[in-house]
Amino acid sequence: MSSEAIALASDDAALTKFAAARSREAWRRRLLPVGGLFLLLGLWQFSVDVFHIRPFIAPAPTAVAARLFDHAGLMLANLAPTAMEAIIGFVIGNAAAMALATVFVHHRIAEEAFFPIAVMVHTIPVVALAPIFVLLLGNGLAAKAAIAAFICFFPTLVNLTRGLRAVSPQQMELMRILSASPAEIFLKVRLKTALPYLFSALKIAAVTSVIGAIVGEWIGATTGIGALIIQATYNFDSALLYASIVVGSLFSACFFGVISALERYCLRWSVAQSA
Amino acid sequence: MTQIALDRAREASGADARPAVELSDVSVRFVTDRGVVSALEHIDLSIPRGAFLSLLGPSGCGKSTLLRVVADLLAPTSGEVRILGGTAREARARRDIGFVFQDASLLAWRNVLDNVRLPLEVGGGGRRGAREPHELLALVGLAGWEKAYPHELSGGMRQRVAIARALVNDPKLLLMDEPFGALDEITRDRLNEELLRVWDETGATILFVTHSVYEAAFLGQEVLLLAARPGRVRDSVRVPLTNPRVLAMRETPEFVALAARLRAVLETC
Repeated sequence: MSSEAIALASDDAALTKFAAARSREAWRRRLLPVGGLFLLLGLWQFSVDVFHIRPFIAPAPTAVAARLFDHAGLMLANLAPTAMEAIIGFVIGNAAAMALATVFVHHRIAEEAFFPIAVMVHTIPVVALAPIFVLLLGNGLAAKAAIAAFICFFPTLVNLTRGLRAVSPQQMELMRILSASPAEIFLKVRLKTALPYLFSALKIAAVTSVIGAIVGEWIGATTGIGALIIQATYNFDSALLYASIVVGSLFSACFFGVISALERYCLRWSVAQSA
Repeated sequence: MTQIALDRAREASGADARPAVELSDVSVRFVTDRGVVSALEHIDLSIPRGAFLSLLGPSGCGKSTLLRVVADLLAPTSGEVRILGGTAREARARRDIGFVFQDASLLAWRNVLDNVRLPLEVGGGGRRGAREPHELLALVGLAGWEKAYPHELSGGMRQRVAIARALVNDPKLLLMDEPFGALDEITRDRLNEELLRVWDETGATILFVTHSVYEAAFLGQEVLLLAARPGRVRDSVRVPLTNPRVLAMRETPEFVALAARLRAVLETC
């Protein structure tokens, strides 16, 4: 009787210990990258101070932070158009890729005819394409959104086409025995099978759409993070240049985070998610 | 004879006495890089309603091909297929055919209950005689697991879900393609017994493909032996065991002798 109680007590103790170790592990995983970041920033600040590096060559982190706070209004005013272009491009590019992938999966002839062309077009560097889009669509939001859309399009097309085809032969046979229509097979099996593939493409697209918008703004735009980068460079205002980059990548990270959260919500059933 | 078996015999003597499956001179050939492969050659087969037939043979003997011809997943190159008095396509469209694969083939994003419900949602919905999914889950011993997802289940439990899914339209013909082939022996034994109970309860005709001599003999009222290259019927053996069957029967001299006989034939296939 008493030995049993001791065993239980030690089990409880073991469980408490296990939970504590687990929570320590979780905190360590969160805090270590933060520590690493501050270490690098400190090293940077130290180098700038010790070697007397001139501000327009490389600004100190404190100078960049100061610029971020002084010019917060300017930053946000320029982030708004870039974010708008990136999001519109993201939606259009991915929607087009999803539509084409759906066509490819149902019509092999279309895939064979157009897939190699899609691959060829994708090899053109986006920097080279940007002026073409500006010539075609003018110097407004449309051209930048189009560049962002273009850069999102390809990874989603490739991944989704592969995902829609990843249905096991037995699941196809099952649907056939149930006399399922092509629409039912697409909606109830193919689309769900393709979701993990789709989300890995969308996470790439979230980041690249922002790159597309910024590159688009380099061609004669007057507002946006891309325009701010060009202006800061010409004015030798390195602190502003670095601050613009920080704002741009913070937005990319947030966009990525939103898509990741959506992925976790949509793929709750997935083994990889629960593991 | 059990009451159910008597009922079944009576049903078979009525007006609707056409066999569950009739194959006459069915051949299936595939064209591959290495030439024409004959998967099935001149198969003649008649399976009465309510039967439990085991299909036993070495790999490559066309067991699975035969099942796919019956299920209308594969058209025979020549010969005639009659299922429940009509064509295989009609039987499939009427939802008279249930199929259980080796891999449970559950949809990972649906919980157990929604997987069992799938046949009621696609292809124009379930038929009038559709069974209650909760009741079927209880039949296969999974009551209380309705909300679980496939990745939370063991292999044996997944296969039980697949069986419940195949039964939801109350099919007259249940086709099983090595359903327990990937399971451990203890789980397989338990599911074998449960399958016989399901057969008794539903009255369906079952075609069960396996490469296990013991499974074929324990489950089937008759064992059909297929030979490979080309796939053809080698022999047909009636199982002399009484119903209902229990696992202990596998230690009886009759069963051991039957298994030895099947194995001997199998070695010449």
